[in-house]
Amino acid sequence: MAVTCSVAATEPAAFDDVVERCRRAGLEVAERLGAIGVVTGTVDESALARLAAVPGVTAVERARSVQLGDPDAPVQ
Amino acid sequence: MATSRSRRGGPPEEPEVGTTGRYLVLLDERDLAAGARAMRRQAGVRAVASASEAPEGLEASGADAIIFDDIGVAVVDARPDRVASVRALAESAPSILAVEPERYVYAIDSAEYARGYRDGVADLVRRLDGGAGPEQEATTSLEAAAAAAGPGAAATSYTWGLTATGVPATTRTGRGIKLAVLDTGIDVRHPDVARRTIMLASFIPGQTVHDGHGHGTHCAGTAAGVANPSTGQPRYGVASRAGLHVGKVLSNQGSGTDQQILAGINWAINMGCHIISMSLGAPTSPGQSYSQVYEQVGRRALARGVLIVAAAGNESSRPFQIAPVGHPANCPSFLAVAAVDPNLAIASFSCGGVNGGGGEVNIAGPGVAVESAWPRPVLRRTIAGTSMATPHVAGLAALWAETDPALRGQALWDQLVASAKRLPLPARDVGAGLAQAPV
Repeated sequence: MAVTCSVAATEPAAFDDVVERCRRAGLEVAERLGAIGVVTGTVDESALARLAAVPGVTAVERARSVQLGDPDAPVQ
Repeated sequence: MATSRSRRGGPPEEPEVGTTGRYLVLLDERDLAAGARAMRRQAGVRAVASASEAPEGLEASGADAIIFDDIGVAVVDARPDRVASVRALAESAPSILAVEPERYVYAIDSAEYARGYRDGVADLVRRLDGGAGPEQEATTSLEAAAAAAGPGAAATSYTWGLTATGVPATTRTGRGIKLAVLDTGIDVRHPDVARRTIMLASFIPGQTVHDGHGHGTHCAGTAAGVANPSTGQPRYGVASRAGLHVGKVLSNQGSGTDQQILAGINWAINMGCHIISMSLGAPTSPGQSYSQVYEQVGRRALARGVLIVAAAGNESSRPFQIAPVGHPANCPSFLAVAAVDPNLAIASFSCGGVNGGGGEVNIAGPGVAVESAWPRPVLRRTIAGTSMATPHVAGLAALWAETDPALRGQALWDQLVASAKRLPLPARDVGAGLAQAPV
């Protein structure tokens, strides 16, 4: 399941620590986004609670998709 | 790939308007020495190995060229009789990837120099990225017109949206302000785009930043299109001199994931952008709360002086049904933009602040019958959407940001709201009103 996680730490070493803990909790890391304090990746549904409980993780959400209309549509 | 406009021999030409007379040469980074050798043997250009050997700059060093190792770019000050052979280097030497006239003069300070040439590299890279093959001359009349007119000439007419938001009267251009458009990319070889330096990145695996959809080109055009488009009047761009950053977070098919979108936001912030324009979103249902992850992102951005502007969404069918503001515009820390038409009435599709608890509309922009750029061969197109209103507001934010270095993040948001034109419509629909340009 693709997820996005917000991380409380902003300072790089602390951010990296939390990301590492997320990885050990079962997150397969896709992107480490230090400037916005987010780590994205995939995780087994059974590990979701464990991931959400990682110290420093403030939210875990299922990743959404967005879809634009057809390029020929008059309203975009 | 040579990008010079003329391949004729003969007497040395005057530098093109807007160029310095020097050349940026993009070297194959795997073998900088081969590139330096090619420059020496084929164009008689004597280069110093790196900027560290010539801290006082090119003139003082006595060399013809300086190679910036870490970005693989050489700056060449060719003698007039050598110009033709320098230009020919891209064809004649495999270790030389592109040759481009230098557009700007940079200060002698070496860090500034390197940054400037990184911008030059971005210019070259975007030509390589969008190009299908070598192009020696301006082959179409539109490109020739672009070469002749220049982006700085005054426009004579404006789209209704620019007029309604006060752009014709403003003295501001967005110069010095960095604005990111996160969307389907941009047509880098569109005639109105071709002379503009743009920073580009694609977050879509397997796709370049080239816009295969159209939406991204249209939005970027509205936010930061040139003042005198070579595709003709009316002018359609708000912040014509803003530092445009295009992040492709939506595929050519118009789809994107949170992973890609968040990576784009992260990039824009790392690139020092002051404003991020996001004409994208997903519908929300009545009562649905906003994303905690995006809300943290928005708060972090504001704290760093970055304003994120997002489209409220197009799911309404007014007057029968008003849909709630979509994700991520429904985050309290995202400036949510609704759409008005040329009569300054609310657009029928424009989402409204019906969810509360963050899902408000903050401000409105022109979002019906909006003309802007579209990928070749169509070039110009008129469409509607809160997607079109959003880059108007982002461009106006850039104009305001230029007026005062204190207008960043929340302060910039407050200024846009305070200076909006009040409309006789509910705040649920238009927030503070129609965004306006500074005088």
